[in-house]
Amino acid sequence: MTRKIYPFYFIAIALGIYIIFTVVPSLMGIYLSFTDWNSYSREVHFIGLDNFKTIFSSNENYMHGINNTVIFTISTIVLKTMIGLLLAILVNKGIRLKNFHRVILFLPAIIPMLVVGIIFKSIFNPEYGLINEVLRALGLNQWTQHWLTDVNWAFKSIIAVDVWKGAGYIMVILLAGIQAISHSYYEAADIDGAGAWKKFRFITVPLLMPALMVTTVLNLLYGLKIFDTVYVLTNGGPGYATDVVYTQVFSQFTLGSYGVGTALITVLFLIMTILGYFAIKLMSREEQNG
Amino acid sequence: MRALYYNETVSFECVYKMKRGIKSMKKLLSILLGLVLVGTMLSACGNSGNNNSPQASEGTAPSQESAQASETESATPEKKDVTLSYLASQDWIKDPEMKLAEKFEEQTGIHIDYQIVPADQYLNVLKAKMAAGEAPDIFGGQSGKFDLGPLYDVENNAADLTNEEWVKREDPLFVEQSTWKSKVYGLTIWDPSSSWVIVYNKKIFEQLGLSVPTSYEEFLKVSEAIKASGVTPIYEPVSDGWHHVLWFPELGVRYEELAPGLADKLNNNQETFANASVLEQSLTQFNELAQKGYFGENAFSNTYADTEKNMASGKYAMTVYGIGLPAQIENAVPGSSASDYGFFPIPLLDNQGLNISPGAPSKFISSNSKHMDEAKQYFDFLTQPDNLQYLLDNEAKFTTLNFPGVKAKFTAEQNAFFETYGKKSGTVYQTAVNYLNPQWMDIGKDMAAMMSKQISPKDILKNIDKRRGQQAKTAKDPNWK
Repeated sequence: MTRKIYPFYFIAIALGIYIIFTVVPSLMGIYLSFTDWNSYSREVHFIGLDNFKTIFSSNENYMHGINNTVIFTISTIVLKTMIGLLLAILVNKGIRLKNFHRVILFLPAIIPMLVVGIIFKSIFNPEYGLINEVLRALGLNQWTQHWLTDVNWAFKSIIAVDVWKGAGYIMVILLAGIQAISHSYYEAADIDGAGAWKKFRFITVPLLMPALMVTTVLNLLYGLKIFDTVYVLTNGGPGYATDVVYTQVFSQFTLGSYGVGTALITVLFLIMTILGYFAIKLMSREEQNG
Repeated sequence: MRALYYNETVSFECVYKMKRGIKSMKKLLSILLGLVLVGTMLSACGNSGNNNSPQASEGTAPSQESAQASETESATPEKKDVTLSYLASQDWIKDPEMKLAEKFEEQTGIHIDYQIVPADQYLNVLKAKMAAGEAPDIFGGQSGKFDLGPLYDVENNAADLTNEEWVKREDPLFVEQSTWKSKVYGLTIWDPSSSWVIVYNKKIFEQLGLSVPTSYEEFLKVSEAIKASGVTPIYEPVSDGWHHVLWFPELGVRYEELAPGLADKLNNNQETFANASVLEQSLTQFNELAQKGYFGENAFSNTYADTEKNMASGKYAMTVYGIGLPAQIENAVPGSSASDYGFFPIPLLDNQGLNISPGAPSKFISSNSKHMDEAKQYFDFLTQPDNLQYLLDNEAKFTTLNFPGVKAKFTAEQNAFFETYGKKSGTVYQTAVNYLNPQWMDIGKDMAAMMSKQISPKDILKNIDKRRGQQAKTAKDPNWK
């Protein structure tokens, strides 16, 4: 890459826009997390690490939100990848109307979250919601739950809705990966007498690794930034049971404590940068090996 | 493309028929073609713009409607071509007010574009809009003499209405609540008698041989008996986030009785919520109701909007509401009768007094509205005596209004209630104590957390103190130094 086709100043405009609209606001956000910026006064004072002390102090609830965010991220990565992979294999070949099925499975991914929230609020309604009605009709009354308002179930329900919405998207990426695998491997395995499981384990999974890395990174970044699913389904409730970092940021902004809100985002930014760095490093290693 | 083809053939015919100057005709043709092409492209762009925009921006539907509305209005030149946006929380705008707005539009051509936001998100939306400089022309807000500054920053965001004509007529108690630093900012049109009480189903009480409880102990017994009969004692819509909070600050009259001067001490920061035993006691009693299951299994998913339906169904025996509820039930549910319902005060801490709350949903005009005069005109229109009477007559929830000269419509049941409990009355805590009302929704979250056993009553009070301290400090309150 020593031979330069274009002189450096060709990117000046793009770089300028990038700096003005991306780098500067990010740095400003980080700076504001060290201030007492709030909605009640027009002056902003530097207060050092006070906001971060507030976030990590045991009297506050923020660790709970960070905790929930991590739980959400890990469980959606695992569930979406597993379900997405299963669906991708199912609709890969040997099924009637496979394009139809693919579209149907992908459909939840394009429904706006607000609509999903409204639909699932009614599906989860304990009195007349679809799930409990079906369970009652099947005589499984003891299985009926207050899906969104029971402390023990609310967060699980949120994860379930998010997996329902996101699995089809992951399926599409993995499907593309599966279809890129040459048939000759499978034919060779057939000749060697390998069964379906062995083919999956020793051909599909290893050759799908780059696609799986992509979906994992996508899920990771999506999971850490989760807001809409929680907001439309429970808004952090009942009480504070399902609060995640971004719903807490949102309520801090509502209270007018912008400083604490931006500090929370900064913490999440750090976590995401570190995880993202390792994920990309891991990915590029895979690429070199492959 | 059809147009293009047509023009092309026409031009060709011209060329053919004229049979001369083919070269120049070609030139003309190409110019024509070019023009037609540009024309079709432009019209296609225009079309696609029109087709796409409604799909692309569902969220802005109201403004489009209003744009259309103003287009039609512009046909009649003598009327003003103005649309006032009006942002309010759910349930703050009554249907008859919308009817009045239609009448107002007929008279003046000024269209009111109502933007109604769910209660639990209202403040977020309003503050976000204000911060972004997109404040509506008129916005709704809960009045309260301590809160107008911290909650809405009226000095910067709202227009001064002190010199409006209706200010002299509005009940001074209410005017006081919409005043900040001796300037009036809000117009309140609300029922002054609508404090929150317990509305109960008389039939259920009669069937079970129960009488109206006069103490907390009796209330527990009544609830237990109702629960044993298979009916849920209390309808409590926790999902709205604000309703279950009422049980706590509405008891201001009783707190003042049991701990005289407490509100003043709290205001001067000489006492904290966490140290006030009466406050902890009332939260503990509320929690007891929740833990005993008196709110039923579905409290967390119940909604305020379904109150009439559920109370009429007979599945619930009591609920916290204004005294207008029976009439609302009769209106909303066919076959139900207002006379089946009676009232008693919220009996936590053995309360037997009447809560008065002169703070109510109010209307403010944005200080940076381009149509301030039209908005003021709308306020003048709403406060005309016959329009007030129209609002009162057509809104089941209202029994009277905070303007003199309207003809109240109290029922015998309501009169009896005021006779029994009206002797002792006091102000609710969200109006009597500062820095409390702005955190109403946060207290709601706290109380929901308490109901689901995540935190204790003491924790709630500590949280309230913490949030009050935070607000007082940022407001540079001298008592909080």
